[in-house]
Amino acid sequence: MKKKTEYIYTVIVAAVLIFGLSFWAVLKPADDFSESERRPLEKLPELSVKTLLNGDFMENFEDYTNDQFPMRDTFRSVKALAQYYLFGLKDNNGLYYADGQIAMLDFPLDEESLDYAKERFDYLYETYMKNKVNKVVFSMVPDKGFYLGEENGYPVMDYAAMEEYFEENLDFAEYVSITDLLDKDDYYAADTHWQQQSITAPAEKILGALGARPFDDLSEETATENFHGVYYGQSALPLAPEKITYLRNEELDSMTVMNYETGKTGGIYDFGKLEGKDPYEFYLSGSVSILEVSNPNAEGDRHLIIFRDSFGSSIAPLLMRDYAKITLIDTRYIIPATIGNYVDFEGADVLMIYSSLVLNDSYLFKK
Amino acid sequence: MLFSSIPFLYYFLPAVLLCYFAAPKKLKNGVLFAFSLIFYAWGEPVYVFLMAASITFAWGFALLMEKAKTQKARKIFMIISVVISFSFLAYFKYADFFISNFNAATGLSVPLLKIALPVGISFYTFQIASYTIDVYRGDTKANKNILDFGTYVVLFPQLIAGPIVRYVDIAEMLKSRTHTFEKVAYGVQRFCLGLGKKVLFANAFGELCSIFRESSEQTVLFYWIYAAAFMLQIYFDFSGYSDMAIGLGSIFGFKFLENFDFPYVSKSITEFWRRWHMSLGSWFRDYVYIPLGGNRVSKPRFLFNIFVVWFLTGFWHGADWQFIVWGLFYGTLLVIEKMWLKKYLDKAPAFLCHVYVLFFTAIGFVIFNSVNIGGAFADLGAMFGFAGLPLFGEETLYYLRSYALMFIAGALLATPVIKNLLKKVNATKTGGKIIAFAKPLGFAAVIIMVTGYLADGSFNPFLYFRF
Repeated sequence: MKKKTEYIYTVIVAAVLIFGLSFWAVLKPADDFSESERRPLEKLPELSVKTLLNGDFMENFEDYTNDQFPMRDTFRSVKALAQYYLFGLKDNNGLYYADGQIAMLDFPLDEESLDYAKERFDYLYETYMKNKVNKVVFSMVPDKGFYLGEENGYPVMDYAAMEEYFEENLDFAEYVSITDLLDKDDYYAADTHWQQQSITAPAEKILGALGARPFDDLSEETATENFHGVYYGQSALPLAPEKITYLRNEELDSMTVMNYETGKTGGIYDFGKLEGKDPYEFYLSGSVSILEVSNPNAEGDRHLIIFRDSFGSSIAPLLMRDYAKITLIDTRYIIPATIGNYVDFEGADVLMIYSSLVLNDSYLFKK
Repeated sequence: MLFSSIPFLYYFLPAVLLCYFAAPKKLKNGVLFAFSLIFYAWGEPVYVFLMAASITFAWGFALLMEKAKTQKARKIFMIISVVISFSFLAYFKYADFFISNFNAATGLSVPLLKIALPVGISFYTFQIASYTIDVYRGDTKANKNILDFGTYVVLFPQLIAGPIVRYVDIAEMLKSRTHTFEKVAYGVQRFCLGLGKKVLFANAFGELCSIFRESSEQTVLFYWIYAAAFMLQIYFDFSGYSDMAIGLGSIFGFKFLENFDFPYVSKSITEFWRRWHMSLGSWFRDYVYIPLGGNRVSKPRFLFNIFVVWFLTGFWHGADWQFIVWGLFYGTLLVIEKMWLKKYLDKAPAFLCHVYVLFFTAIGFVIFNSVNIGGAFADLGAMFGFAGLPLFGEETLYYLRSYALMFIAGALLATPVIKNLLKKVNATKTGGKIIAFAKPLGFAAVIIMVTGYLADGSFNPFLYFRF
């Protein structure tokens, strides 16, 4: 009798789950985009004799069914929670959750990547800056794993060695360490980036090296309270949305930003991006090869050129007080040999600021 | 198509179940045959024709054997049929191995064929050969219905990864089988168990093996963690797939023989091979070892028989030297046990026997999973400290901590401890009532978790597909 009961319930739950989800999967309209993972989803592949015989249809159909599965984000959360709490694994898809924050396992130090980055920086210096620019400052933004990993038992990259590498090998630049001015809480819990309102101290230190002044009248404003960072989707953990705060004053409000990719002009903060796939692109429109900011209220005509990644987008507004013109260059999206066509380096101050994540995987820098 | 995939679980399986149970009795084999061909064609669209040829030849020659008037003619038909089956296997699986070794021996550079291995060819070739030989021996009658015979060969539950089901064991079921609620329920439970083993455990340990291979930190301890992880990966992978096959077979009214019986609790290597991939072991015993004379021959001939069987066992697993060495490694251990060690093992404490088996099994699987024979010796050297590696490092300790619970859970599930505990609890009145509800919930949880892992597009290889 017990066995019969067990069998009846087994068949009922299995049938409900398999057939229920099966019908749902077949009948559910296909979605175009995954908000949580920030990527387009697979569409039903083309069915033809050719795609059947070469196996393309089957391969793509599997991707399609995985992407379009009903309640996919919920199921991915089930997996993430099982990994952490049932099987005791310390990371899921290379991400770990500690002290309310998600961080990526990023180790060990890739010395070849550092060499490649140095070679690219040397090229930029020799080609555009040597005997032309006023000053070059270099700074590295540590990944939040630096602050989160060690105390929670995760392997941590040797950040000290990375700092030492750039301090010793970039002869043309003054190295400014901002590591001691940051903490894990200065980063978004579910995103790789730092929070703008928490980085005024690093900005002041960098400005000190450049011989420029920080703003002293910035106020905090909320851009959105519904920010899901990049780790939110990747980790699949059910975390609450976060708030994106930005710093503003009248001077920043009056600045104009020229986007060399689109030819359009806008403001420092791009409110349209808050509804896009990566709301962090709110800061200076995100990943753009060259941006030029004009500051009509600056005293004099100083020019600041910032070689940067996405971390640079949020710190750049804090550095603009004394500069009439600020040029932001992302060499992951522009061939360095062409930069001279757009940017005049004569008499400029140069800041190179990159996150350790990018420096440890610098092969995205274009040749 | 993998059992552990969204297309199988939520598209193919519901479709085949609906059609199968809706079909009248006489059409059920036809439904299974058609869906099995779709299942196979999903991964191997072109090789369906190869399989169709294999089926047709074996079916035809078996009929010719039965109609033959002389024993000599029967033997000729049997040999032709077996040679055709094994020729396909030799061509698709072993041709490049022979060519590359020929090139190495002669200094020539005969171009490799570089043909994709038809999935499951090693399994279905052995099934077809067993049928042909059994018909020749008179152990079974030739099947006159090509659809029934084809269904036996292509039956999707065991088509690509075994167990190697012999025709004699299911001949009657092919003609007539019963479908009961109990069989379906048992099949569902067994399928879920296998699915959980594969997706939740084998894949996790497989991921650790991949992390080890890609890591820049090579330490002695990491090598041993890798060896342990691979032992558990291959066990959960293959036994999980066998569970799924047996479960699906039960749902469709078949009873397939067991393929694994907690091999890691063995107290000798001889016992290990009675518990590991049992269908392959019994196939070699019945169609190679015993026909060669088994152990009822002179000692040199007995040794020869053993090494032939284990050479072939290794070679069946892969066309490369590390597989042959792996097979001969076990052949050597079995000879040592049979001729000398067994009497000591019988008297030794159980704990020591387990350590002995696990140690040599770990060594064996490190050889098995190496990239080539040179890699096998390099891996073994590193495990025993001959590569000058540090004992451990930060990354090693991290993964040891991270996978600690998985190792404990995996080790427990690889023994009958939990099964026996559940049996004891089930024997009590209250325990039995609890289990009647808890087990279905547990299986539901497995389906939900597995779906989560599959929807996440997680690491999901299957080791035995390469055979």
